[in-house]
Amino acid sequence: MKRNVAGLVIVFVGAAMVQLATSGTYLRYVKPGMRWMLLAAGIVLVALAVTDVLVKSRQDHGHGLPRAAWLLLVPIFALLVVDPPALGADAAQRQSPVAAKPAKPVEPQGNAYWGDESHGPRPITVRDYSVWAVWEKDTMQGRSFQLTGFVTPAKNGVWYVTRIGLTCCVADGTAFMVEARGQAAPPKNQWITVTGKWAEPTKRADGDVAALTVDTVKPVAAPANPYE
Amino acid sequence: MSTPTEVEELPETTEKEPSGSSIAFTATLVLLVGLALFGRRLFNAWFTDDGIRTWATMFVGVTVQALPFLVLGVLLSAALTAFVPASFFAKALPKHPALAVPVASASGVVLPGCECASVPVSAALMNRGVTPAAAIAFLLSAPAINPVVLASTAVAFPGQPKVVVARAVTSLAVSMILGWLWLLTGKGGSWLKMPKNRHAHDDGKFEVFRSAMLHDFLHAGGFLVVGAAAAATLNVVVPRAWLDHVAGNLLLSVLILGLLAVLLAICSEADAFVAASLTQFSLTARLAFMVVGPIVDVKLIALQTGTFGPKFAVRFAPATFVVALLASLLVGWWLL
Repeated sequence: MKRNVAGLVIVFVGAAMVQLATSGTYLRYVKPGMRWMLLAAGIVLVALAVTDVLVKSRQDHGHGLPRAAWLLLVPIFALLVVDPPALGADAAQRQSPVAAKPAKPVEPQGNAYWGDESHGPRPITVRDYSVWAVWEKDTMQGRSFQLTGFVTPAKNGVWYVTRIGLTCCVADGTAFMVEARGQAAPPKNQWITVTGKWAEPTKRADGDVAALTVDTVKPVAAPANPYE
Repeated sequence: MSTPTEVEELPETTEKEPSGSSIAFTATLVLLVGLALFGRRLFNAWFTDDGIRTWATMFVGVTVQALPFLVLGVLLSAALTAFVPASFFAKALPKHPALAVPVASASGVVLPGCECASVPVSAALMNRGVTPAAAIAFLLSAPAINPVVLASTAVAFPGQPKVVVARAVTSLAVSMILGWLWLLTGKGGSWLKMPKNRHAHDDGKFEVFRSAMLHDFLHAGGFLVVGAAAAATLNVVVPRAWLDHVAGNLLLSVLILGLLAVLLAICSEADAFVAASLTQFSLTARLAFMVVGPIVDVKLIALQTGTFGPKFAVRFAPATFVVALLASLLVGWWLL
């Protein structure tokens, strides 16, 4: 690879990173905490390419730069052309809806935390609900909740309110799924807010799946950070 | 994604570029700007399949997650090459290679980052005259036992400090064993492609720094892309459900979680959380997952192939994998 072409490729990679960090698109792929790392790395790359052009002493040492560098254009191509969306129903369908047993004792215990029911359904993350509805049945029983997530359809009219949980980036994305009962499925990948009452989890061969008897379904816009 | 940033930054490069007449340069520029402006409209009917889009998300995600760490790594390695005299390492490390190995392993604590950063840094160490055995020990220990990784392990396994201890002990042991193994078998072997010696030029330190960084980034970045593509493919293709069938058998589950760590290529700062969620498996099997992940995975194999040569990678990866599994079994039986 020629040195000036290499500079161009690096500028594009760096600019793409800066663009991801400043536009908020990076939230589709990594955790919010990565923003400054991305910005800094992008600026370093652009600076590297620009100084390489500015410095006059360009003694090409006979050997060119590595040809593997052309491959760096592949993710740029993917970003510009495919514009990969945040993980959604397709990724969730590849996983089991069963919630793993929590490693530590589940957080809020007893009635003090939950307060009284007079304020209507309690907003709760899909991640927490999918775990607690299975592993903290006694506390959850008889209560109303409000969940926000996207629709993942399954076989026989079953559908799930879903959120993907990230620990680092989309490669480790884990789907948290709550079976919604009593309402017809909205379109796949539609973001919704549902309210409803705790329901007895569904038994499956590989474990129990959290369930909710849904009262209301309201379509909403996708949140800025689609992950939990 | 909108496009103004790319377009704004281009003129800086093109205006001051004296050899801008080069055909490759012009073609690349036209291609990239064209894609930025019209790519989505031209190809919008092509990539609509859900599976392909999920794959693209995973691929871009792994790349975007790893690139900042790779930049950090090449920055450090270029600084080592340009600003730290070779005599420093000769003084800092014990003369005898067998003694230098544990010192190098322990000094892995100081490089906080993912495994992507440690490949260029250890290449720079070899370049500076550090014995390959010690550089290999550092390569294996740095991503596994640095404070960020150990802290995230402690958070992922609350109330179980023994998991953190087991992880640190096992990873340290594996890195030393492989360093010594190199001394026994690989010394004089021709299959390690020594990283190019770049300090011979009398260009001045800054020039060496810049050249080293440019070269390392382009090289490692290309191989990182290959690794990210492999990891994305396996992520999309391997169904997680088959894990449940093997969880009962200790030996089989250690092997399977080891393989899973290789295939998923999760960065070392996050793998503890994934391990914690695999609750159907024994702690020993999950320890194997956390020990294997930072030192051998598809992304790292691609990076090592690029940096140290395919002949090295094809021997090193399986050896690391086997030693990591055996050490995890032993430590798991002892501590967990």
